[in-house]
Amino acid sequence: MTPALEVSRLNKRFGGLPATREVSLTVMPGERRLIIGPNGAGKTTLFNLITGDLTPDAGSVKLFGQELLKIPTQQRVHLGLARTYQILTLFPKETLTHNVVLALLGLDKMRWNVWTMLGRQSQLYDAAREALALVGLGDVAHRTVTETSYGERRRLEMAMALAQKPKVLLLDEPLAGLSQEERGQVRELLTKVPRDVTIVMIEHDMDSALAFAERITLLHYGEVIVEGTRAEVVADPRTKEVYLGE
Amino acid sequence: MKRGAIVLIVIAAVLIAVPLVIRNEFYINLASQILIYALLAVSLNLLLGYGGMVSLGHASFLGLTAYATILFFTWGAGHFTAAILAIVFSTLCGALFGVLALRATGIGFLMITLALGQIVWGIAYRANMLTDGDNGLRFPARPSPFGIDIASAPKFYWFTLIVFALALFVIWRLTQSPFGAALQGARDQPRRMRMLGHNVWLIQWFAFVLAAFWGSVAGLLYVYYNLFISPHAISLQQSAEVLLMAILGGASTFTGPIVGAIIITLVKNLVSSYVDRWNTLLGAIFVIVILFMPFGLVPGVKQLWARWQRPAKKVTVAAPDKPECAP
Repeated sequence: MTPALEVSRLNKRFGGLPATREVSLTVMPGERRLIIGPNGAGKTTLFNLITGDLTPDAGSVKLFGQELLKIPTQQRVHLGLARTYQILTLFPKETLTHNVVLALLGLDKMRWNVWTMLGRQSQLYDAAREALALVGLGDVAHRTVTETSYGERRRLEMAMALAQKPKVLLLDEPLAGLSQEERGQVRELLTKVPRDVTIVMIEHDMDSALAFAERITLLHYGEVIVEGTRAEVVADPRTKEVYLGE
Repeated sequence: MKRGAIVLIVIAAVLIAVPLVIRNEFYINLASQILIYALLAVSLNLLLGYGGMVSLGHASFLGLTAYATILFFTWGAGHFTAAILAIVFSTLCGALFGVLALRATGIGFLMITLALGQIVWGIAYRANMLTDGDNGLRFPARPSPFGIDIASAPKFYWFTLIVFALALFVIWRLTQSPFGAALQGARDQPRRMRMLGHNVWLIQWFAFVLAAFWGSVAGLLYVYYNLFISPHAISLQQSAEVLLMAILGGASTFTGPIVGAIIITLVKNLVSSYVDRWNTLLGAIFVIVILFMPFGLVPGVKQLWARWQRPAKKVTVAAPDKPECAP
């Protein structure tokens, strides 16, 4: 079976600082993979290398067998890659619906149309509201981003990624900064994502994240230290040493 | 919407009636000039306001079209063919300029457009064989599109008004279109737009080409109006002036550049006959507007209007970024 995402021997240095060292990672279709590691372990850098925000020094990234490194970010998205950002990257002055519409347009040939009235494309707006309802933002869909809470914005990030019906979804700390209640909502949302979507998630909140993960990769100083099933990684002494403390 | 439609009809009626009310040819010609510069400013605003790209070379498209129209005409093309060829030529230059300028963003983009504009100006100034240098080129006579004579000032005004209205409508549709949304998205969050599958570079390049195209249409009107083009019309000052029109009126709105074009063209042509230092006056107007209405006149007046409508409540209008619905 072709892996959904195959990272091999990926390297990236920022000046003298190696951010990613010989990272290899294989995620099978439908898998829920968790990436953990202390601050500065290179988790977000890894995502940036996969999406094309950064160019690696060496290595390879394959999505369903297709090499990604030679193609620009937007084409990777067209192949079925989507991500959310740890630092919110939204369109703050627009409505939530418009944010999702921009996500939908990204994969729609209509984005080059200079004549049609966007406001009259009800199928786009219906799909956008549907995606927002899925993450529990149906009631506030008409608000502008500036009028929403942090938790709502985090869920908007998810809605934009999910609306694109990706094959591989990269979630960068989707629970960061959320209240207990909101965490519960996002966790529930994640369990609802269909199995044909492969999810790779970076998360610090071990309580929520461990329950979600099937396999876990532990990064430390840009290197893969431990990888395995949830039980294996949790039981591994190196995990305790690096990440969980004593 | 209904109120918007009424306002639009009233504005259209007033604009159509201008030559009937104002009999003085000087003022009718001034109105034509305003329309031409308004179109140039609106086309530039596709880059500035909607795309977030500050260009200091936009007058070059006016010049490229004007020179090309005259040259194609003197080389034997008919009026219509010369016009089409000139616009195609100028837009193609825009396509090339876009490739060069979009290698950079921000200040880099500005400097490249400035340099390209200066190259066009330099060629116009130096290539004596082709452009007759500082003397400029004359165009023998206005055309008669579809057999209609547009030589007189009122008729030329109506001709310009029709072209202006059509152009404005098409550009307005663009701002409301999916592409318009993508262009504004690319301005605000280029990184996210890429991650959503948008080709940010291509979006901005396409906007550059479209802006060049509409700038070229303004250039065609310009040469028909003046029946003359010289390097002066495409100097850096001209490019800067068009930029000022958009900023003065409010680059974040669709109508702002039109308001800016009206004010600057009026000050230039009317006040200059009474005051020697009209440039100083223009500068003063600019400074005052920007001081009190940092986003330009149209957003500023809207804000005042909102405050006046609801004096009890404290109204805080955020930086308007969305163009209003109707021109």
